[in-house]
Amino acid sequence: MRIQVRHDTVYAYATPPKYVIQKLRLSPRSHEGQHVRRWRIEVDKDCRLIETADAFGNVVHSFTLHDHFEALTISVEGEVETEETAGVVRGAVERLPLALYLRETDLTEPNEAIADYARKFRRDDSERLAGLHDMLADLHAHIRYDTGRTDSGTTASDAFELGHGVCQDFAHIFIAAARSLAIPARYVGGYLVQSNGTVSSDAGHAWAEAHVPDLGWVGFDPSNGVCVTEGYVRVAIGLDYLGAAPVRGAQAGGQTESLAVNVHTADMAVQQ
Amino acid sequence: MLSRTADNLFWMSRYVERAESIARILHAASRMAAVPIAEDTDSNEWQSALAAAACDQAFAATGQEATAENVFEYLAFSEDNPSSVRNCLRMARTNARAVRTALTTDTWEAINSAWLELHRYRTDDVSPSGLNRFIAWVKETSLRVDGAAYRTMLRHDAYWFSRLGVYLERADNTARILDVKYHVLLPPSVHVGGGLDFFQWSTILRSVSALTAYHWVYRDKLQPWLIADLLILREEMPRSLASCYANLTMFLDELARDYGRQGESQRHARRICAQLRNARTDDIFQGGLHEFLTEFITENNRLGALIADQYLI
Repeated sequence: MRIQVRHDTVYAYATPPKYVIQKLRLSPRSHEGQHVRRWRIEVDKDCRLIETADAFGNVVHSFTLHDHFEALTISVEGEVETEETAGVVRGAVERLPLALYLRETDLTEPNEAIADYARKFRRDDSERLAGLHDMLADLHAHIRYDTGRTDSGTTASDAFELGHGVCQDFAHIFIAAARSLAIPARYVGGYLVQSNGTVSSDAGHAWAEAHVPDLGWVGFDPSNGVCVTEGYVRVAIGLDYLGAAPVRGAQAGGQTESLAVNVHTADMAVQQ
Repeated sequence: MLSRTADNLFWMSRYVERAESIARILHAASRMAAVPIAEDTDSNEWQSALAAAACDQAFAATGQEATAENVFEYLAFSEDNPSSVRNCLRMARTNARAVRTALTTDTWEAINSAWLELHRYRTDDVSPSGLNRFIAWVKETSLRVDGAAYRTMLRHDAYWFSRLGVYLERADNTARILDVKYHVLLPPSVHVGGGLDFFQWSTILRSVSALTAYHWVYRDKLQPWLIADLLILREEMPRSLASCYANLTMFLDELARDYGRQGESQRHARRICAQLRNARTDDIFQGGLHEFLTEFITENNRLGALIADQYLI
């Protein structure tokens, strides 16, 4: 599938900040089943975009601004060619040992309820994939997709108790549950095109990857109850949302009035 | 476009690129042979040149000794050697003539005049100046063909196919030359990092026009792993494997877009391209450079076969 992505992040400031620093995890890398044809990041102010890679192998761009300004726009525009791999991720950058993906974070620390829930899906290593699939379907059936009730700081435990959340919460719960079964799991941020072709939303998508013996990393999208398909563009991975967040920043002085995010993805074949 | 036409265009530029590689290999060998230190060892630069050109077995079958004269004659002019510069230029011209109308006048003339001018070079002149004149002329020929195509050809499938030939051949050549240095060139009696080692590396770099580039990029003395990094993973280095694959992927994408469908060759090229972009030199050396290069050459050949299956047959 040829997927076109446009992702704008617009900051408006009530009072201009003195200093802004931003870290962007907005650049996908190529791996088997995902080929980045072109990709461009644009910041509408004069600055130097410094490219590095973090410990997970994500491409990170950072920039700093000193001028006074009332608005700041970060735009991403690109085209990615994807293929169906049944959710299996091969040929991606793997810099860290598997055991690291068992580490709990504040956002993914399982409470008793999640650990109890996860135990229902405990299987032998050879059956691990089936167990994860069961959990995927069960989570999708029991947690309601609901925007506006949780925010980016909601933990897996809170979301699980509430019984609803957005893709990020689904991913966190899935990860917390998988790790409580000693299955290495990680958070993936990216984009999704649904089968009807064009999607506009105010956020990107997020899902989880869990490690399965013999297969390697497999992508699970609990908010849609499916394994990752060719409609997914994988951008950044992390232990939780904070590690893979597309845009993170800090500012000195000033006040942010609003932050608007607009993501537009399209299957170019459907568009034509 | 007829697959026959595509095939001719692909092989035309592939042969020109190969002629240039052979000339560069000869150049490297003649420089190495001129180093006095080499006389103390039992290494034979001309034998290595044959290995780098993948002609060592065929040459051995002729029963000749690997002397400067014999190797030069074999790699440059021999009619029995399918990869000799002479045969490459002949094949390039034959292919070009078959698709004369798909080429611009400038491109055709560059190839045709190269073939006509070839007869000026004497096969028995292996003096350094004679050899250098010949090598310079082959490189110039390749530049002229490349430049004519770049400047005059329409950007459509004819051009894309000719570019595929260039980059596929170039990737093969870079991988081979690196591999030869690592496994054939340095005699076991000479220690790595010594004078001969240094000289050989700098000659390798020079043979792919990368010595100055190396110093620009690393600002360091010659280190084997940095050289491997430059020639394998650095996309800004035009003869590196990563750069060749960035181009191969791009031109295959152009073809796919032009024809409205894609296939195994696009997928295979993207896979290798992603591997090269995601790889690190440390990991390559850990797994063994020779193994890496051998596998790369196999995969590169496979891409050639896939392109042939998809477009050329």
